[in-house]
Amino acid sequence: MSKRRPMQEATFLILTALAGGSQHGYGIINDVEQISKRRVRLRAGTLYTALERLQNDGLIEIDREEIVDSRLRRYYKLTPTGGQRLAEEAGRIHSHAKVAMSRLERKGKAAPA
Amino acid sequence: MTPLERRYRRLLAFYPRPFRREHGEEMLAVLLESAAEGQRWPRLGDSANLLRNALWMRRLGADWPNTHHPRLWLMVRLLAGTWLLILTAILCGYGRWWGLALVPFALLHFALALRLGRFIGRGADGPPPPGLGVS
Repeated sequence: MSKRRPMQEATFLILTALAGGSQHGYGIINDVEQISKRRVRLRAGTLYTALERLQNDGLIEIDREEIVDSRLRRYYKLTPTGGQRLAEEAGRIHSHAKVAMSRLERKGKAAPA
Repeated sequence: MTPLERRYRRLLAFYPRPFRREHGEEMLAVLLESAAEGQRWPRLGDSANLLRNALWMRRLGADWPNTHHPRLWLMVRLLAGTWLLILTAILCGYGRWWGLALVPFALLHFALALRLGRFIGRGADGPPPPGLGVS
């Protein structure tokens, strides 16, 4: 497999939000806020630039559309490729974090909570 | 249409037309859904964010032309660029070397043609997605 650049955090969080099932724009924003423990609040411009790119790259696709209160709601979902990319990225972050934690512990339990 | 919606629409107008056709209505829905009760003006942070992303999509290297007729514009750009190069050659042939000043404009036409070509190549110039009757 070719080397890929690490995923941006916003991208990672959007894909993570969609890993639980399809969601529309506003749902993704709220979910990302929750996943990141209120640290990341995506703005509409950022979200749709990211969704557009992810769609072009084949990582997400449109699941369905609904009209709620005469407003368009478009639901996005992960594609199999998207799920695979997210799993790779999560594995990469996990393995780095594991090494970091174990080294910090060995140094005398200096790891902050 | 509420004042807030009108103001958000005005901000969305900075996006390239095909992108707005594709995502404008759902973006508007997100913006209005996250607005506070009785809010009349777009939040400054949201406005700046929309503007920045819209201009980013309009950069020369982006995939988004600002037209609903990409095929027509592709022809126009290619013809205009070619014509400018021919004009340059004629001018230089007569010793008018200032004609070379036209070359950058020809290249600009070709760059814009390339962007249109990429847009068409993505198949993004098809019919508008369903559910977008509102404008």
